Amino acid sequence: MNGILKDKKAYLVFLVPGIAFYLFAVFYPIIDSVRLSFVEWGGIGPEKFVGLENFARMFKDHVFYESFFNNIIYLVIVVAMQLLIGLLFAVLLTYMNKHVSLVKTLYYVPCIITTVAIGQMFRSMYATEPMGLFNIILDAVGLDNLVRSWLADINTVLPAVSFPEGWRFTGMYMVIYYAALISIDPEVSEAAEIDGANAWQTLWRVKIPMIKPVIVLSLTMCITGALRGFDIPYLLTNGGPGNSSELMSTYMYKQAFASNKFGYGSAIAVFIIVESILAVVILRFVSGRKKD
Amino acid sequence: MENKQYAAIKKIRKVVFALVIITFLIIQLYPIVWVFMASIKPTTELSARPFALPEAPTFENYRNIFAKGDIFLYLWNSVKVTFFSLILIMAFSSTMGYALSKFRFRINKKLYSFLTLGIMIPVQITLIPLFIFYSKMDILNTTFSLVLPQVGFAIPLSVMLFVNFYQFVPNELIEAATIDGCSPYGIFFKIMMPMAQNTFITIASMYSILIWNDFIFANTFISKSSAKTVAMGLKDYVGAFGNVDWGLTFAAIAVSILPPMIVYFLLNKHVTAGMAAGATKG
Repeated sequence: MNGILKDKKAYLVFLVPGIAFYLFAVFYPIIDSVRLSFVEWGGIGPEKFVGLENFARMFKDHVFYESFFNNIIYLVIVVAMQLLIGLLFAVLLTYMNKHVSLVKTLYYVPCIITTVAIGQMFRSMYATEPMGLFNIILDAVGLDNLVRSWLADINTVLPAVSFPEGWRFTGMYMVIYYAALISIDPEVSEAAEIDGANAWQTLWRVKIPMIKPVIVLSLTMCITGALRGFDIPYLLTNGGPGNSSELMSTYMYKQAFASNKFGYGSAIAVFIIVESILAVVILRFVSGRKKD
Repeated sequence: MENKQYAAIKKIRKVVFALVIITFLIIQLYPIVWVFMASIKPTTELSARPFALPEAPTFENYRNIFAKGDIFLYLWNSVKVTFFSLILIMAFSSTMGYALSKFRFRINKKLYSFLTLGIMIPVQITLIPLFIFYSKMDILNTTFSLVLPQVGFAIPLSVMLFVNFYQFVPNELIEAATIDGCSPYGIFFKIMMPMAQNTFITIASMYSILIWNDFIFANTFISKSSAKTVAMGLKDYVGAFGNVDWGLTFAAIAVSILPPMIVYFLLNKHVTAGMAAGATKG
């Protein structure tokens, strides 16, 4: 941030169009969301100011709680898959000598596919009519009593809608961790090996601690991403059956756009943003990362 | 003797290692390969032997979706949204990045922090207000209704990428150009823009994929069939619990994911670098 140009007019010419667009496209809707969370409005007629009533109602709404806890389970599954599998595969790649960039390129492919397509792929894999991939594999390994319509069973639907989201982004975290791992000075791990550490110890005691800042950052992004999870659960089940795969975002969406409760929907949206900010603050506090 | 044994162990290890890597790759890629395979199977074969290699490959599914024609309209809508969004993203963020990193004004630091905060904002918070705004202005179902939020949410990360790059352009260079009589505008167009070519490519490649793939904005602001983007069109061949024509759906998926695939395989270093920056610099 240490420029040298001082021409004020040119400065404004370069800065203002973008800032104005940003304020209008992102900042104004946020403010308006907060305002709407204090009103009751069904889409037509005048808005009615109701104070904190939407929030009071939210904290008494059992579906809200159900979607909150579903969202926590969704978050745990998604974060565990993205970070652990991403990290595991990145570590494996560091021991590879040939074709690394080809493997990386291919592994990343699910990240660039639209969620609608991923939704359709998994819908067909979970199905029983015709038998989908999951059920065929279960049947083949003798677990045919587990064969079921994964999206219709209230006991399996939540993991079933979480899994595709975890699966599709492992490649992105793999790329991030791989870049961090190979940027570690080779002398550091050589020194550890000279001191008698085996490969396993070098990995856990030296390499992983060294990329901890990257892990914390990606964890932050991964958690806030999961707190706003929407596309795949919405596309696969729309929160059903019942509310057994309802997440915060899908519930917000339904309240606003299916029931026309724009005020109540906004209150849930405000809750989602507050919750995301809280998660980031807590994570920074726990990891002791100073604000840079 | 011992050497031979050691060599054998080493070889086994190598094979096991390769198998592990291949297993990971199969888990990641099989669903996608399967879609392409399923799209060239006749409907009867698809339901009878869904996971076998296609026995009688056919392009009938493709012929059918092209004959139905809607997909061309959807593709065209996606192209429009992606194109206009990219132009605006690059115009706004390259100029803002220049103002924030090469001008000396005290407010810059605060503005930059305010902007980068935006990387963390969930898009859901804007859906209801924008929807209400669009319906009042009667501009639901327009290209603009999708371009506005796409550009807004792309600005923070794009500005950050430009600032990161511009900071490596030495101030002495700008000073020398100023002494030679070059205006701040000339410096931007003749020096900064050509040098930032890689940043432009990174942003264009990453956001062309992300915008092309968007579901949530399109699903909220588009209801007319004629304004649908290609991602939404994939749901055309599926009813809630009605009969899904899987053959057509898979062919449509294959068509719709082809453009992002091409961008990705041509520019994958740029795409992954941009996305990784988004996930770790928030």
